[in-house]
Amino acid sequence: MVKASTTENPSQSVSPMQTFFIHLICGVGLAVGLWVAHNFYSISLISDPSRSLRLIWVTMCPLVILFYSCFRKNPEKCSYLKAVIRGVLALPIGALVNALGAIALGAPVGIQYFPKTVNWSLLMSLFTFVPAASVFGSSWEDWRRIFAHTKPNASVDYMICLPAHGAVIGAWFGAWPMPLDWERPWQEWPICVSYGAMAGYLITMVLSFVLVLARGGQQHPKAD
Amino acid sequence: MMEVGDWWRRGKWRIMVMLTMLHIVGILIFTRGFLLTRTELPYYSNCSDVSESPCFTGQSNPYQNQSNSHCWTRPAVDRLVIIVLDALRFDFVAPSTFFKESKPWMDKLRVLQKLASTKTSAHIFKAIADPPTTSLQRLKGLTTGGLPTFIDVGNSFGAPAILEDNLIHQLASNGKRVVMMGDDTWVQLFPHHFKKSYPYPSFNVKDLHTILMVFLFHVDNGCIEHLLPSLYEEDWDVLIAHFLGVDHAGHILGVDSVPMIEKLEQYNEILDKVIEVLDNQSGPGGLHENTFLLVMGDHGQTINGDHGGGSAEEVETSVFAMSFKKPPSTMPSEFDSSSCEIDLDQKKTCISSFQQLDFAATVSALLGVPFPFGSIGRVSPELYALGAGTWNLENNIEGNCPNQKEEEWMQNYCNVLCINSWQVKRYIDVYSASSVIGFSSEDLLHISDMYAQAEENWSCSSENLLSFKDESCYSSLPLKRKIDAYFKFLLNVAELARSKWTEFDLKMMGIGFAIILISLPIYFLAMMTKSVNGFSLLFGDSEIFVKLVFALFMVVIRACSFLSNSYILEEGKVASFLLATTAMFKLRNSVKREKMLMEAIIFLLLITILRFTIEVGLSKQAATSLFMSTHSSWLVEIDPGHPVWTYMAEIIPILALIFLAYLLYIIMARSSCRSIWKYVVLGTILCYILIAVHWASESDVLSSMLMLQGIGRNCIPRIIYAIGLGQLLLLAFSPLFHKDRDLESKMHLLIKTLAMLSSCSSTIIVLSGKQGPLVALVTITGGYCIMRLGNIERGSTDKVAGILTFDPLSVTQWSLLATCLFFVTGHWCAFDGLRYGAAFIGYDEFVLVRQAILLTIDTFGFSHIIPVFGLPFLVARQKLLGRTDQDRRLLHLQLSQMYLMYGLITAASVIATIICVIIQRRHLMVWGLFAPKFVFDVVGLILTDILICLAWFYYIGRREDGTQLTTLDHWD
Repeated sequence: MVKASTTENPSQSVSPMQTFFIHLICGVGLAVGLWVAHNFYSISLISDPSRSLRLIWVTMCPLVILFYSCFRKNPEKCSYLKAVIRGVLALPIGALVNALGAIALGAPVGIQYFPKTVNWSLLMSLFTFVPAASVFGSSWEDWRRIFAHTKPNASVDYMICLPAHGAVIGAWFGAWPMPLDWERPWQEWPICVSYGAMAGYLITMVLSFVLVLARGGQQHPKAD
Repeated sequence: MMEVGDWWRRGKWRIMVMLTMLHIVGILIFTRGFLLTRTELPYYSNCSDVSESPCFTGQSNPYQNQSNSHCWTRPAVDRLVIIVLDALRFDFVAPSTFFKESKPWMDKLRVLQKLASTKTSAHIFKAIADPPTTSLQRLKGLTTGGLPTFIDVGNSFGAPAILEDNLIHQLASNGKRVVMMGDDTWVQLFPHHFKKSYPYPSFNVKDLHTILMVFLFHVDNGCIEHLLPSLYEEDWDVLIAHFLGVDHAGHILGVDSVPMIEKLEQYNEILDKVIEVLDNQSGPGGLHENTFLLVMGDHGQTINGDHGGGSAEEVETSVFAMSFKKPPSTMPSEFDSSSCEIDLDQKKTCISSFQQLDFAATVSALLGVPFPFGSIGRVSPELYALGAGTWNLENNIEGNCPNQKEEEWMQNYCNVLCINSWQVKRYIDVYSASSVIGFSSEDLLHISDMYAQAEENWSCSSENLLSFKDESCYSSLPLKRKIDAYFKFLLNVAELARSKWTEFDLKMMGIGFAIILISLPIYFLAMMTKSVNGFSLLFGDSEIFVKLVFALFMVVIRACSFLSNSYILEEGKVASFLLATTAMFKLRNSVKREKMLMEAIIFLLLITILRFTIEVGLSKQAATSLFMSTHSSWLVEIDPGHPVWTYMAEIIPILALIFLAYLLYIIMARSSCRSIWKYVVLGTILCYILIAVHWASESDVLSSMLMLQGIGRNCIPRIIYAIGLGQLLLLAFSPLFHKDRDLESKMHLLIKTLAMLSSCSSTIIVLSGKQGPLVALVTITGGYCIMRLGNIERGSTDKVAGILTFDPLSVTQWSLLATCLFFVTGHWCAFDGLRYGAAFIGYDEFVLVRQAILLTIDTFGFSHIIPVFGLPFLVARQKLLGRTDQDRRLLHLQLSQMYLMYGLITAASVIATIICVIIQRRHLMVWGLFAPKFVFDVVGLILTDILICLAWFYYIGRREDGTQLTTLDHWD
């Protein structure tokens, strides 16, 4: 919460350190989820995808919502609590959008896939929708700027835009091995798609940090 | 230089025609190297033919005095029992000591192993099949003694009956009574040859798991039921029993499964009983005094139970042969090529190798019937020895030569080989004389040389060999040399035939591929002829550039997906996945511009529907062709028992049809169109009404209600075909009626497109069955969405700078949608994916050309004909600009570029398929998957090319084209 107080300025600029911190927290959250699943429940994404995904999103959910809410837009008009609630509300909505998208692309539908799809889409929602909802709320302009135009301006834009795109593109590529006849357990829905999404998410978080760093480096001389 | 450029610019239609020719030539050359073809000859061997052979000349004919009692060779066995166990792996039969490690499925057919190790009259062979290792092709190969190839020219479509000379035909025409039981493939292949047959269907239903578990243990019951009683009967000479259980168990559960082992145990019992019966009756004067038993597989299978390809597991099957003649015959040691192992019971088992190619010749020789005309096999020495042994065994006991028996046998065998070689030589000569693609003259010369060497002036009979006789016994040396010469000849012929009929001609494939590849840069050049500095303009417009890159990425990734058999199997899903991806890209664009969000979402929903429909189709494909009727793929899942569903299934297509007609009427009413187009569209509306009546009269629910039964079943479809043809002719000659150029606007183009599409649609819908109107609605909605979404940017910029005057992504989407529609309409890229039922709508009798045309229209209707002719819709509604010359030229430029782009996309995916078949030509599934996919793609490409040419003439016209494009150069 120390961080929160430092970011309460209206310009809502985020220092590279903060970006690094947030991304680290998210990445660690992801890793902790996997680790807990593996060590305490002795399940993995392959053996029990639905429960593992649930563990991951449950671990990540408070981290993402609480920390991204610190960087909410217009902090003077919008309380921290409101931002958190926005994030919580966005979780199921984003999950629905992700699930519909996945089904349009060919995700299997059926009663045995239902929990897997739900948990996967909740995780995807955390990667994509929830940070944006916490930060921007229902500001249509900002959403459009981030997701349709892909024109991030501020550092916080990078932090939302890049990982979200990375997760979606990673999931898209992750779907490709599914039809292959290798008969490996990880080719099942949604295991490799989740791996792809996580890989994309992690890679783009690093990228986002690098870009924020580069931007900070650019802006400093200007400020001087 | 100037002239070339001028020609290039003036005659884009020429480029399209040139590309078509290029594709056709390239594909023909490639196909000649890849799809191995063999011409079936309509000739049959006759008993009397043998007098032409050199084998019986002069006094040397050893059987001269008894020439009436036999035909070509002297019959060695009286009765033959062939038990075919489908997909019998070699290691099911051979003792496990032959293999590195023992597996649970080995040593289950113990009765065969026991006999092979204890009796000299029983022997196990490893039989090598020639791929493709599917039952039908194998049975064909076994009975004709030839090599089956992917396309047997002369094979009629729908009816697989063998028209070539074959073993069963020879048996039947030489008075042998053949009884068949088991797999009904035999009855399909030989519809009139059996004296008695008990066929049982060879269902191949993978998905109906529970039913099959029951079914699996009943599949052979019919066969078992008839087999044992038949063995006591006297009314047959050859008995064929074909058991399917092992094949089914393999397909469903794989080799390493409990049911497979149980099945093998069951066969062990049956075989035990069969051999017991035969053995009991084999005494002198008994029913099976001289009976020969063959237990054989038609092909092997992999551990997963698949077969079809050329891997060792699939081609290696086995033959167990046993003679019940007493005393047992022995085999001369010098032709024994077997390898022996000590089995678990410390007994020696020997296994020899045997080519399935030799089966027809060997069995013919054993039974004394003429060899099938097209057989290129050789009489296998081991198998022949088992059956034939020595005839004069009893008479020759007093001989003082130890080799006497053997020498006699060899003489006889030499004679058989003589006839065999003569027959093979005759076939090769006739084949190369009458076939389009014969053997090369060098090969023929080589073969003739070898035959002449073998013939020389020897004869197999002892008279000629007397000079080589030593003191007391015949020397078998010259005989052996002669037999070796025959062997050499026969093996050479087989080798040549294999290389000609089952090996790829890489040079031809390479040339063909290169020719097709040339077309790619031509497409690009033709698309870019407008301006030399096209690239700078291209990069200037980032929006178009991003789209172009994205579109190309989609095309490339789809092309790459063909490199794996899994993606080819799921091609429909891949296409819908990519289509959905492009739709999401478009959705993003429309969010960006805050326009046409509705269309984007509808399009996504449409793709979701398509996606589920494709999955229904894919599950049907897995369940093979059980549902192969004109029934719609959309309605297959609906429980037919429920009356409401039946009612819905009848009524919904008709409602959709009425809606389509209404839609057409509305568009006609709104547009101020000229008479000729009006008549065409009115004709289509009439057709729709006729189709609705036709379906209503066919359905039980509606016809009883509406009293429509009286209308002829074939009448309406024929009227519809006639109207469609008339409309097309009218459209083709429409330029004669309309000379005024004022109408060359987008509105006019829209009407033109509408007229063309509507005149094609009625025939396609009636052929597609009840799914037709629904698919048509989907196509219209999809096309509308693509068109609307493609025009998002048009509003902002009136004149499009850059070399591309259209949205490349729209064309890509249109092509992907076309691919999806192919799968949605219940097709897939395999020959059982053709809906044969569609060919008989409106006709009962079979006429090859007519039915083939109908089948082509059904197969490619929604996926090729409608999309190509409907492509102008993507530009037609953009903006109804003024009717200036500039606009018209821009429109034509757009159209021609779009057609080129569409052709490019199709060509790119076909090129990927071709690369894939070149790489995978030795793949397991090459005949099962890649080759059919190749055939479908190639036919699709040629059809697309031709349709694009026709559409070009129809929409753009060739005279105007040149002037427009040249003037356009000065335009911007």
